[in-house]
Amino acid sequence: MRRLHLGTEGVLALIILGLGVVLSLTTENFLTVQNLFDLLNNQSVNMIFAAGLVVVLIAGGIDISFAVAASVVQYVVMTLLISIGGGNWLFGIALSMAIGTLLGLFNALLIYRFRIVSIIVTIATFNLYFGLLMVFTGGVSIYDVPDWLYYAVPLIDLPATRGSATLYLPVAVMAVISLATGFILTRTGFGRAIYGFGSSPEAARRSGVRVGLIHAFAYGWLGMCAGVAGLMQAHIVQEVVPNALIGQELPILAAVVLGGATLGGGRGSVTGALLGVLLLAVVQNGLNLLGVTPYAFRMIVGFIILAAITCSNLDKLLPQRAMAREARS
Amino acid sequence: MKRSILIVAALAATFGATAHAQDKPTVAVVAKVGGIPWFNAMEQGIKDEGEALGIDAYMIGPTSADPALQVRAIEDLIARGVDVIGVVPNDRQVLEPVLKKARDQGIIVLTHESPESENVDYDFEMISAQQLGEEHAKLLADTTGCEGSYAVYVGGLSVPAHNAWADAAVNWLSEHCPEMRQAADRFGVAESVDDSRNTTLDLIRAHSDLAGIMSFGSQGTIGAARAVKERGMAGEIKVMGLFSPGQGRRLVHEGVITGGFQWNPLEAGKAFVALGNRLYEGGEIADGDDLPVLGTIELDGHTIFASKPLALNEETIDELADLGL
Repeated sequence: MRRLHLGTEGVLALIILGLGVVLSLTTENFLTVQNLFDLLNNQSVNMIFAAGLVVVLIAGGIDISFAVAASVVQYVVMTLLISIGGGNWLFGIALSMAIGTLLGLFNALLIYRFRIVSIIVTIATFNLYFGLLMVFTGGVSIYDVPDWLYYAVPLIDLPATRGSATLYLPVAVMAVISLATGFILTRTGFGRAIYGFGSSPEAARRSGVRVGLIHAFAYGWLGMCAGVAGLMQAHIVQEVVPNALIGQELPILAAVVLGGATLGGGRGSVTGALLGVLLLAVVQNGLNLLGVTPYAFRMIVGFIILAAITCSNLDKLLPQRAMAREARS
Repeated sequence: MKRSILIVAALAATFGATAHAQDKPTVAVVAKVGGIPWFNAMEQGIKDEGEALGIDAYMIGPTSADPALQVRAIEDLIARGVDVIGVVPNDRQVLEPVLKKARDQGIIVLTHESPESENVDYDFEMISAQQLGEEHAKLLADTTGCEGSYAVYVGGLSVPAHNAWADAAVNWLSEHCPEMRQAADRFGVAESVDDSRNTTLDLIRAHSDLAGIMSFGSQGTIGAARAVKERGMAGEIKVMGLFSPGQGRRLVHEGVITGGFQWNPLEAGKAFVALGNRLYEGGEIADGDDLPVLGTIELDGHTIFASKPLALNEETIDELADLGL
């Protein structure tokens, strides 16, 4: 019976652990520092997105424009910095956060002020942002990024059998953003208000929650995260390509929902969102290491998503037990 | 005084030129879209060859990649009475009627990158899909000595052109390097630097004998090279494929990208003019002919296959990148 108290995060962690054990036994390379570092390095951008997106989902909204917004931020920041002669890390991050937040606030404004459903607004801004990007860039990529952005910043460097195992800067940025998001959501009154608003907007409004502020924070925070993620992605691939991030929104949305957030609002956590991203990444990583044919990738990923979501919903599939549990507690 | 002499001289030159143009053709080429590096280079080739042959040759670049704009441009050219119309079609089907109209008026019609076009005198291809794949395979075989395993990236598992190139390369390798193994089936990651980079990191780890990566999709070559560089294995794992010279320049010089092949739009521009001129002068084209610009060709129906791969490597990359390609 205790197992049912694990919650979505616990179930996800168990599934990832299970997969990890299987992969450690079946491949030589899964359980190596290098592979685990690579997983974190490669997923840090997606995890930053996920940490931002979970806030919007908890507040009962949805946003599909964030990946494109990140591309816009990349372009605007790079163009501005190159025009002033290069800039530096501090300036780059501050500018990315500011522009990302603005793009997010624009969504919030449309949703709150004009009372449009969030999915419609963000479908519109998704097209608007990408369209503007294409018009102004003509689809031209920026290959000459400033030097500070070009060179990878290693945090931990360990020797490995082939090459080295290195943890890079984006992982630290991801950790800071996740901790900050988690802190606001679980340790502040404002965070509780976001959950409350997501569960029941009307009840929250009547009890004096400032709805406009909740919207502004949720979408603004996601925008800020997207800005930072965009900068980190440009840092990792060392160039800015206009269509590099478009299409990332749905896998990340799937990962966050897998991590326990619901499209109805009021549920979800940063831990869950990160674990959701990690699960999909471990599956992909495992398929590559096992040498499974790429023609079967999508099929297996789809199957794992279904299996994971079913496992984490098991307690809801057993209504009597769940009720009995609640009665007891 | 001086100025008037100049004007007279200029006028004389102009009239002189038009008088000469009576027995020389006018060649006009309609690009897919104007103002992008690829077609800027093609325009350069058209002008260069026009000057070399002393004929009037120019390119028209529509403002967007819209077949309707190409139709209008071709109609204008028919009205203007040019002798040769060349076109790189945005949409073969849409252009068929207007090309038929041009041919009915005795205008010579040439296409490029469109072997399926029907209402043409000839279509020419700088390199066949078969050869493009095989050139990469040969490069891989040469640089790895046929040892170890290799991986193949394509833009998508269902992109026809990419998979045709990949098929040709894999077939060549299984025939000529039977001991070389393909590490896994081909991966559809070559349109994304992120995906190809992540996949490459995994493959390096999973296959200790990985010797080379061929990417038939321009972002895949860059992503694979970044991963190989990150692992400090530049030169040990050979990375090759299609890529845009400007994007890959730094990596080629660092020795991370071994090389690659594509075709040269500048040469294609020259070929339009040279081929048009030859046909205008009544020249016939047969299989195995040695044509100006295109060299020895294979004729398949009305499609001319030249064998002009453009090698991207340490020596050629800067020049091509400077062209903006």
